Formats: sequence, structure tokens, C-alpha cells
Amino acid sequence: MNLLPRVSDILNGILTARKRPKLDFDPNRPVDKADSMSVKRNFPIRLAAGLLLAILIDTALQLVWKTAVSSLPNDGSPWLNLQAALHSPLFLFVIFLMACQFFNWLMVLGKADLSYAQPVTSLSYVAVFCLSVLYLKEATDLIQIAGILFVVAGVWFISQTDHVTQSKEREG
Amino acid sequence: MMGHSAIGVLLVVICALLEGIGQVFLKKSVLGAVRWYLWISSGVVILFIETMIYSEALLFLDVGAAYAISSLNLISVTFMSQCLLREKVTRMRWIGVCLIFIGVSLVAARA
Repeated sequence: MNLLPRVSDILNGILTARKRPKLDFDPNRPVDKADSMSVKRNFPIRLAAGLLLAILIDTALQLVWKTAVSSLPNDGSPWLNLQAALHSPLFLFVIFLMACQFFNWLMVLGKADLSYAQPVTSLSYVAVFCLSVLYLKEATDLIQIAGILFVVAGVWFISQTDHVTQSKEREG
Repeated sequence: MMGHSAIGVLLVVICALLEGIGQVFLKKSVLGAVRWYLWISSGVVILFIETMIYSEALLFLDVGAAYAISSLNLISVTFMSQCLLREKVTRMRWIGVCLIFIGVSLVAARA
């Protein structure tokens, strides 16, 4: 817990270096048209790419995961399952995807709040849904479509918040 | 049969809690903490344990139910980012998280 003040110092440092709040006007800065675009311009392209990649890998993982699990013998301890898993190519593919996901995720976390990045990756549910309806010809119904709309609306709300927020501790 | 799926639900709820803790540890590691390697390795261990438990849970529940309950991950991660990382989770962000939670539950419940 005594790590928290230090963490907030670092966060403050990152924030002041990278991004000024919109209300914080610098009188010496020339006013230009691009100012109105400042929020969009400050959104790092690597963060956008990282989030997209996270969604894609997550989608692939969700689709492969169940197949991989059901290919295992469903008796015995987790350790026996682990041994069986290490001999299954499908499971090795899952582990490969997870490794990619992990390193990409660390990159994303370096650039955005956890409470921003995590909900945005829920778009993978939308992707899984669309893929199973379009390619696997799975039946769908209004409730599922409503669910998808809820997810999209939720991600829109998240995207309206700052991707990096300041720690409250040292303000004021 | 009831006992069977109750075990599954319990396992998935434990997974949601572990996910929250694990993700907070990973975030700590990239925040520039001095012992970042300790944060990252304990985060990985926690998430690994979570994965093992989740794959066990899938043997007790069908995948739709497991998905629906694992959307609790969102709530757990958001709550822990707010409490442990002091991220500013604004009302806008909570609305978004709740909408996604409802949406994922709706989709998954029919899967």
C-alpha cells in the first residue's frame, strides 16, 4: 500500500508530460484550427493499434478455447489436464495466442488506464457474435442483438472518457 | 446436477476476482514501480491460476453460462482499478461498464 504515493507521482509525471487538460490554456501558444481536434490528436495511434490487436487476439482465443478444452479428457486433476494439454497442438496454439495477447496487453496498459482498456476489449464479444452468425450460421435472436447493441453503446461511453486519468491523491 | 453447476458458478466468480487482482498487478508493473518484475511475475502467476480454474469451470458449466458469469470480470477489474490504482472512474465510465456488462450477459445467456 505504501507504493501508492509513488505510483501517483509517476502517473502525474506521465500526464503532465504527455497531455494537458483542455481547460488548461497556455496563453503563449498560438491558436490554430487543430486545437479543436486536440483530443483526437492526442490519442496515440499505437494505443489504438494495440487495442485493436487485443480485440482480434481475444476473439481468436474465445473461438479456439472451447474447442481446445473439450478435446481434453474431462476427468482427473488440473495437473493431468495440463499434461494432456501440452501434447495437444490446439492447446499450444492457445498458449501462443496468450503470449501474444500478454505482451500486447502490457504495451496497451503502458498507454492507457486499466479501467479504460479492459472494457474496450469487450468488443471481442461483438466480433465473436458476428463471426458465428456470418460464418458458422448460428441462429440468433432479438435478445442477443440487443445485447450486442448494449456492448457497442457501452464501449462508446468508455471511449468518451480520457484514456489516462490523473490520480486523485495529489490533487489540491 | 444443481451442485454440479453451483461449483461451476463458484469457480467462475473466483476467476473474476483473480482477474481483477492479476490485471491490477500487471498495470502496477508498467507504472514504473521499482520492483516491477515482482508485480509482473505475481500477476502472471495469478492469471495462470485463473486460466486453470476457468478451464475447470468449463467442465461444470456450458460455455454460454460461463461467459455470462465471467462478464463479472469487467466489474471486478473496474472496481479494483478505482480502489487499488486510484484511476478516476467517472460516471460516464461506470455507465459504459454497466452497459457492456448487461450486453455481454444478454448475448452469453443465449449462447
